Amino acid sequence: MSKKLKIIGTPVPKHDAKMRTTGEAIYGHDIKLPNMLYGAILRTQHPHAEFIIDVSEAKKLPGVVCIITADDVDTNHIGYKRDHPILKKNEANCTRDEIAAVAAETKEIAQEALKLIKVKYKVKKGLYNPHDALKKNVPQINKFSSGKFENKNIAEKFFYEHGNLEQEKKNSVAIVKRKFTLPRMTHACMATSNITAHYTKTNGKLLLYSSTQVPFLYQRDMAHALKMNPSDIRIIQPIIGGGFGSKLDMHPFEPICALLSIKTGKPVQILYSREEEFIASPTRQPMEIELTAGVDKNGNFTFREIEIIKDNGAYTSWGATTPFVIMQAFSSLYKIKACRFNALAVYTNNVFAGSFRGYGNPQATFALERVIDLLADEIGMDKAEIRLRNANTKGEITGQGLHYDTCGHKECLQTVIKKLKVEKKKVEKNNRFKRGIGYASMLHVGGGAKIYRSDGCGTTLKIDPYGFCTIITGSNEIGQGSETVLAMIAAEELGIELSKIKVINTDTDVKPWDVGVHASRTSFVAGNSLLGAINILKEKLNNKAAKLLNEKTKSFTYENGNIISPSNQQIALDKVVREMHFTEPNELAIASYFYEPSSKFQDKDFKGNVSGTYAFASQSISVEVDTYTGNVQVLDIHVAQDVGKVLNPLLLDGQIHGGILQGVGYALTEELIFKDGELLNPNFHNYKMLTAADVPNIHFYPVETNDKQGPYGAKGVGEAPLIPTAAAIANAVCNALDIEIVELPITPERVLKAIAEKKNNKKNK
Amino acid sequence: MEFEIESPKNITELCKTIKSYRSKSFRFGAGYTDLLMELKKHTPRNLTVINLAQLKDVSFSSIRSTTKNIQIGAMITASKLVTDTRIEQLFPVLQQAAHNLASTQIRQVATLGGNMCTASPSGDLICAAMALQASCEIMNDDKKIHNLSIQDFFIGVRKTALKKNEFLFAINIPRNKKRTATLHSGFIKIGTRKSMECSVVSLAFHLQIDKTGKIIDAGIAIGASAPTVKFAQSACQFLIGKKINSFSEKEKEEFANKVLSYASPISDIRATAWYRKEVLFNISKGVLE
Repeated sequence: MSKKLKIIGTPVPKHDAKMRTTGEAIYGHDIKLPNMLYGAILRTQHPHAEFIIDVSEAKKLPGVVCIITADDVDTNHIGYKRDHPILKKNEANCTRDEIAAVAAETKEIAQEALKLIKVKYKVKKGLYNPHDALKKNVPQINKFSSGKFENKNIAEKFFYEHGNLEQEKKNSVAIVKRKFTLPRMTHACMATSNITAHYTKTNGKLLLYSSTQVPFLYQRDMAHALKMNPSDIRIIQPIIGGGFGSKLDMHPFEPICALLSIKTGKPVQILYSREEEFIASPTRQPMEIELTAGVDKNGNFTFREIEIIKDNGAYTSWGATTPFVIMQAFSSLYKIKACRFNALAVYTNNVFAGSFRGYGNPQATFALERVIDLLADEIGMDKAEIRLRNANTKGEITGQGLHYDTCGHKECLQTVIKKLKVEKKKVEKNNRFKRGIGYASMLHVGGGAKIYRSDGCGTTLKIDPYGFCTIITGSNEIGQGSETVLAMIAAEELGIELSKIKVINTDTDVKPWDVGVHASRTSFVAGNSLLGAINILKEKLNNKAAKLLNEKTKSFTYENGNIISPSNQQIALDKVVREMHFTEPNELAIASYFYEPSSKFQDKDFKGNVSGTYAFASQSISVEVDTYTGNVQVLDIHVAQDVGKVLNPLLLDGQIHGGILQGVGYALTEELIFKDGELLNPNFHNYKMLTAADVPNIHFYPVETNDKQGPYGAKGVGEAPLIPTAAAIANAVCNALDIEIVELPITPERVLKAIAEKKNNKKNK
Repeated sequence: MEFEIESPKNITELCKTIKSYRSKSFRFGAGYTDLLMELKKHTPRNLTVINLAQLKDVSFSSIRSTTKNIQIGAMITASKLVTDTRIEQLFPVLQQAAHNLASTQIRQVATLGGNMCTASPSGDLICAAMALQASCEIMNDDKKIHNLSIQDFFIGVRKTALKKNEFLFAINIPRNKKRTATLHSGFIKIGTRKSMECSVVSLAFHLQIDKTGKIIDAGIAIGASAPTVKFAQSACQFLIGKKINSFSEKEKEEFANKVLSYASPISDIRATAWYRKEVLFNISKGVLE
């Protein structure tokens, strides 16, 4: 961009920050409608059991308005593979399973009614390990699966390859093979899951106040589930208290709430307790990754061979599709000549995962970057040097067909290596406390991801006769700050002050189509869409201004609420709009635009340029490990990220800090612990999210590569900061202690065990 | 979560309330940081909570000096223990334990008495008070007071020696010896994060050292390692009379093994017994380093 920017690139605070921090913001939990009932869900007591249910006693409880079980509803299955019944009939297959739902006059009555529902269980031995589920002669876990694979408990399969793997193996002087185990982590959104459904019997319309991240896909999914016409369903998003991917899938409680409203003809609200949130909201996909990788005598990476077994849980969610992203990391992060990738998602009687910020990429990057350190050790090369040598470059087209029109990978690496080197000098080692450093990089889509027929976003833009601007955008706000960024773009281009810009983005009956918030796409896709609408609207405004100013030019600038000609004639923007509206030919100052990124659908071999652009990042991290307790203290995190262009440094910093802390939690503390399908830590007491006291020093260096596709050159940033964090921390811990880590989280106990094993190995030698 | 609540305003009213509930089910509520969690899970029918938070008697919520003791009222909050300069100077172990408790917000309401009477094996204030060899001042509903050593106060997991008509009034911590020139006193809390943590293992130590460097008194207690917090008597005796700066590696390990002999930890969701023992040995050694 040659033009000097006034708003873009400045630290504009989130426009709703005050509202959110003072409690004025209206979340789903704050909604109260006249005659509203309260819904509650009965879940199975056993992860795997046959059951008979009797609701007759519960129905008699005064204040209970409606109770539904599978027998009372006529619905389609939900989920990515449509293998998930909304209410389960006769058989429970995971601890979350919804077997009945109540609508009552108060929350307390609804809870009391749940206790009065009689369920007789015949407990069955479940399959909680994907390897067991793959054995012969075990039962089919999901009776609604497509059954198209060779094993009845395979839910989904992915195969990808490029290059000559066998040849590259021969070219390798060192080959490393390791198996890594990745845990379940939960989003732990500050707002628990919530929905308010309002069905109007007289016209058959369903209004849902829902926290979905993808309202248009959700509308279609809901309509399919309830056998309704999608357009009879209107989705309004209240203010959303955290998404991080958890609201990409539609979950059973949502159509259940709609069904209760349809049955009763009254509004019904379901709010999760924190415990229910832990049990029944999605998780990051747990998996085992076996990675074999090689390097040639010059330190160039040769090949990667990957076998992944994912625990799909009892039903299939979007989480099953994370290999789309995982294979990108393996095929295209650092230059790699050959890659073969196999992934299986296997049904078990565990809870199912969903999408989670990073979408498989933190798992892949952990395995990949750990093995890079091991390869460097094998050939005696410096760990920074091996990464720089293999870093991706501008103009590269990867084996998978990703086009790196811009690429800040090398610059990111150079930056974080240099910054940590300065610190390394300060490092002291003593007997008890050991220090180490680690590096990791990441690659992620930065310009949307074409996984649906369109990866587009629509915008309708209007300016009113008072000079205020309304952006009606298909994209939505889940706390990431997209409303603020869009308002900044409009302010920049139209010369309207920020306080005069409104963003409307919460109502599917009003806003144009958009695929939803995911894949770090909103600023990129919705930003470009808005710029498209601005260009159209400006043409109209320019025409009118030229007439009013008797100017021949159509090239005006917009500043401080005025439209200014090259000869410095100016006219107020609101006046131009009034003249458009109220004088012939009487037209509105309104424009619509639909932006579709240049990306392509991948072919059946998963090849193709799936995103408009790609983001890169590197982190270097120093840790201090207490060898007496196993506690890992993260000292400094240096992060350099190719963001294309900084649109708002304040919001960008927020994404970086928040993402990194999620990454540190993934590395060190966060894990949902299950025993035979049951969750043992459904609370913040034992699910160890980090606290403010645990925050390390974070140093951020944005790298601007000015991608020609991005708005002002920007790329997506939201997911990237958490992706390499766990990998870099693991590398630093291994560096500090000379141990191997193949499992997350790196708990104090796992560290002490590794130290003890190392001692034993030495003794045995 | 439904219960009745009684809020006596002074000791006399409190004793009267306890008497009137003698045959009914009641619980005491002080800071409510543990009680509400428990009642949220399960509230017995017809439960009354006798709320201690409205008691106006200064003796309940003050720190007093006597010639022999420092007396701390049961309703003292953790944050008061953190900020009190006497506690900081005389009993660093207690100040550190209070400082490591939960979070800033919770420390504003969590009380010493609550932590003691919950009698959790991982109670941080209990562990510190035990290392300080405190005694418990117990009052009954006739306002009669008797003293019980802190080791006898705890009889099992979440069980105290308190009878139904008794409550903890205060704890007495003996003053440091006159000959004490320096203190080696501290609280080590093992967990995975720096706040909002329940001890996986804890170690409280309070060593009094004379001007020649000789240990003249020692208190060592361990938490989350047995059904109750334990006072490591033989480890204390091992230290007394020895010079603080002269321990050999072998002696350090001997001391650590003596501490460890009081531990009979379980494996649970937070850690295995193996880890608890391993780490307890290491940090015990660390006390003498």
